[in-house]
Parts: sequence; structure tokens; C-alpha cells
Amino acid sequence: MTQPVFEKLSVLVVDDSAYMRHLLMTLLQALGVAEVHLAINGEEAWDLLNSKEPDIVITDAAMVPGDGFMFAKRLRSLRGRALGMIPIIMVSGHTDLESVERARDIGITEFLSKPISARALYERLIQVIDRPRVFVETPTYRGPDRRRRDAPFDGTDRRGSVALL
Amino acid sequence: MSASVTHSRLAGRDVPMSETPPDVRFIRVPSIAERKLGTSHTAPMRLDPRVLDKMQTTIRKLETKYAEALSAQVSMLQLLVDPAAKGDGEARERLYSLTHDMRGLAGTFGFPVIGRFANSLCLYLEKAREEDWRDASVIRLHVDAIREAVDNPGTDPAITTETLAALERLVAADLAKRKIAG
Repeated sequence: MTQPVFEKLSVLVVDDSAYMRHLLMTLLQALGVAEVHLAINGEEAWDLLNSKEPDIVITDAAMVPGDGFMFAKRLRSLRGRALGMIPIIMVSGHTDLESVERARDIGITEFLSKPISARALYERLIQVIDRPRVFVETPTYRGPDRRRRDAPFDGTDRRGSVALL
Repeated sequence: MSASVTHSRLAGRDVPMSETPPDVRFIRVPSIAERKLGTSHTAPMRLDPRVLDKMQTTIRKLETKYAEALSAQVSMLQLLVDPAAKGDGEARERLYSLTHDMRGLAGTFGFPVIGRFANSLCLYLEKAREEDWRDASVIRLHVDAIREAVDNPGTDPAITTETLAALERLVAADLAKRKIAG
């Protein structure tokens, strides 16, 4: 019943709540995800990220020590390694515009608000697995293209040249 | 920088495309599905209702366990209010942590109202000053409301909604007052 890609997937889940870790792990297992690695904070996640090299990271925003924002920022700073470009799904109870914009500006790929639903998680996973956005590197930003919609905008379109990884 | 003859792909609008500055790179990353499945991958990937159903069944199986844990957590919240008000840092930390967990999980496991009470309390605690902790009346009102919602799920929803709205208004007014006070 599971989709073949999930059986080949490795996911790192970072959350300081044991319940949330368990819930996410169980849902990922229901999807058929082969490898789920669990970390309780950004510090522990960093070690697992480097040793396991997962395909996707799902991280909580608020944790101590080392919250999800710091962890994501550190991950995105990994230049010259494909690991620095992996999709990050941030799970957060803070759904105000400021938090969402902060997540976007440090290179979060998808934002998942709490309380999470099975459908929302599944949809975000499909999005990052099958529909990756172009990755952007500038002196001040490193992450997926923040422009999601094909809408007209003022200014110069610099998306003319796209390198292939 | 001279405009090239190609045009923006955005919404069919003719926008001249400049050359990408040397310090800006756009990289097309292959999809995980392509990398993992190679030619056997058939895009686009769609949500499979059977898989979704399996995930939802998983959540339902966890609901009973969560309901039991929730009741114990609420008892713990009640025990933590007094020491937190007296300045016990560990009690304050634990009280926030439990509330934060409830905010994130209660809705998933079929207790959306408790999730909203917890959200209101979290917002309050995140900005709480020493005198707010010491006073503890707003904290107590929230904890009592959570206790009531857990113990009496059959309460008239209109009453629960009104209590929730009143607490949310109280917190919003309090936060606004603090903002004005600077």
C-alpha cells in the first residue's frame, strides 16, 4: 500500500516533545518510511544530520538548547555539500506572520502548523519529495526559491540562468 | 547590464531578464523521487487515500493513550501553579513545557478546544513578567478551564466557546497593555 519512494527515505525528526517525536515517527512509519532518526534538540540533530545524512529534516521551531531556527540556519550554511540543500519542514505552534517569515528567510522549505494532521504532513512530504523548488544562493540567503507563485513582480528577473546539480 | 532577448516566465508578463549576478546562483535540485526511483518514478506523485487512511488510523490508535496522558498532565499543571507563583524556576519551566505540548498535540488527538486553551496560556506565559507569575490568576483561570474541558467533555459547547473567547480576550488585552507600556 505504501508508495515506493517512502520505503527508500531517511527522515530526521527533531522535537523536544517526546509525544510529538513519537507521533511523527509513527506517522512516517505508517507512510512506509524506512529510516526515521530522532533528536531532542538542535545540538543532537546536528550530530545525526552529519552521521546519517537524511533526505529530509522535520524540525520543531521552539527547542532548548539549539532551537529549530538555529539548526536550520546551521544546516543551510553547509556550502559545497548537497546536505546543505535538503528539504526542511518546520513544525510550529507559532503561526503568526513574523514566525512564518522568519522561517522562510532562513531557508525553510515547508511550514507545518500545529496541531498537525495526517493530511497536512503527507501533503508537505509529497511537495518536498516530488516538487523541489529551485535552490537559491546569494550572499544573504541560501535556501529554496522564496517566490512560489508565477505572479508579476517589480524588479529584475534573475532566474534566467539555472545551474543543474 | 543589458537586457537579454528572452523574457520572464512569470505570468506571461514581458519582463527583461538580466544576467544573473556572479554572487547569485539558482540551482535546480533533482527531486528526491527521481533520485530514489530513477526511471521507475512516474510524476506527479499524488496523495494516496489508502495511505492517508492508514495514517489517520494510526492517530486514532494513539488517541486513547493521549487522553490518559492528558489527564495526568492537567493534574500536574494544577500542582505546578503554586510553586511557579512562588518563584520556582523549574516549576515555571515545566508548566510552560506541558502547556506547549498540549498546544501542539491536543488538536491532533481530537481535543481542539484544549489545544486552544493551551495556546492562549502559552501566549500569555511567553510574555509573562515576574508580577504576572506571582499573581498567577490568569494562569489559574486557564488551568481550571483546561481541567474542566478534560473532565467534562459533554459541557455545552457554547459555554466552552464563551470561556475560551473570554480568556483569549483577556490575554490579548493584557499583551496589548504591555506593548503600550513599552
